[in-house]
Amino acid sequence: MEEQKPIESSLQDKAQVVESSPQNQKTVKKLKLLGGALLGVILVVGLYFVNRYWISPAVKTQMKGSLDHPLAPGFSLTDITGQPLKLSDYQGKVVMLDFWATWCGPCRIEIPGFIQLQNQYRGQGLAIIGISMDDDSKPVVEFFRELHMNYPVAVGNDRLGELYGGVLGLPTTFLIGRDGRIYAKHVGATDLGIFEAEIKQLLALSANGEATSFHQAGQVFAEDKIELGNPTEVDSEVPGVDQTKLSAEQKEAFKKQLADQQCTCGCKFNLLKCRQVDRKCGVSLKLARQQLEAFLKNKG
Amino acid sequence: MRTLLCGVVLALMAAGLGRAQYDHSVLEARAVTATDAAHSNSTLKMAVVVQVAAGYHINDRKPSLDYLIPTELKLEPSAEITVKDVVYPKGTLKKLAFSDSALSVYEGKVVVGALLQVAKGVPPGSYFVKGKFAYQACNDHACLPPTSVPLEVTVRVVPRDVPLKQVDADVFQRIQFE
Repeated sequence: MEEQKPIESSLQDKAQVVESSPQNQKTVKKLKLLGGALLGVILVVGLYFVNRYWISPAVKTQMKGSLDHPLAPGFSLTDITGQPLKLSDYQGKVVMLDFWATWCGPCRIEIPGFIQLQNQYRGQGLAIIGISMDDDSKPVVEFFRELHMNYPVAVGNDRLGELYGGVLGLPTTFLIGRDGRIYAKHVGATDLGIFEAEIKQLLALSANGEATSFHQAGQVFAEDKIELGNPTEVDSEVPGVDQTKLSAEQKEAFKKQLADQQCTCGCKFNLLKCRQVDRKCGVSLKLARQQLEAFLKNKG
Repeated sequence: MRTLLCGVVLALMAAGLGRAQYDHSVLEARAVTATDAAHSNSTLKMAVVVQVAAGYHINDRKPSLDYLIPTELKLEPSAEITVKDVVYPKGTLKKLAFSDSALSVYEGKVVVGALLQVAKGVPPGSYFVKGKFAYQACNDHACLPPTSVPLEVTVRVVPRDVPLKQVDADVFQRIQFE
């Protein structure tokens, strides 16, 4: 009875037989070449798919992220205690920038929660800044003292509001990451838990590079979309109207044209004056922009 | 599948209603007079008819909390026409998310009255009464900055023997002039 060999040894024997003949050696060489080529093709195809479905989308997300998380416009104000308040002094911190007003009930109700958040997360790098949109600092100072607010508050202005995309509904709160980018915007009174969840995410991130992994907690509404104001429009001599396409002479002529026209918003001013004294006036803004279009058409 | 789609649509609608857009034009106002003309040395009733957008409210003339900005009708007197009185409606008590107690507010259609005095010896002709309706609007979640709507009403002064015709009677029924 023939002794049964183990399977591995039997296969080794067969391989030795195949490799031993010169004709078979050629076939093996051909097969090895073919295998190598096949491996190369698989590698190329694999790399193509890795790039298409993994690397490329990641790059795109990063680019999209830059649009979604714009850099927070800088500002320099004096707070209600007389101290300078500059956003640039908060580099590397997570900043919660709250636009509010004393006459706004939904704004007032949020503030005790903000005081609590500031106490809880100050050590980890959270800095809350209040920008009051009151016309006068007196009620702001009173409220600040009454509530023992533990973060700086300054009275803002329309220009700052416009730089942050126009803060029409109050409260409007922005969350700025350690890298100086705006990661979230909340219009209207927002649940404290939502702020806390977002703050925790931002505190956990480093200041190096944009945090594309950030996600807004809670429901995101249309008005919460982060769109900043155009500085050339905001800082224009005719607020809200981009005059960069005009020469110095044309700018003067354009301003004269606006000064010669009455604003129809009921303010009794001409268009230029209305733009300058009431930046929020939508009527004069629309008319002035129309005038600019007509002016450019005529000059062109 | 159809039920699921309907559910999604309804949920989206509910979310939209729950958070109205913060549109700046949340209020419309127009000024009217109770008669088509006026005689000199007489009074003339005037009304400002305001429509506040759904979901929003404006504060009462006498707000429930001292920090709230009151609604105010400001009219400019002239040599021919002066303002004797302004009559505000009673607000509606409403419980809002940001307040522990109900607040007195104006919602929907609001009518504010004004009693004008045409001076003695004003010759027949057209005269203008200008003014503004100042308010500050909020919804349950957010507030808009204080603002105002400009108003203008033409008062046609006619000789004493010309009869006056009543207009907008339904509007003036809502105002309790003293």
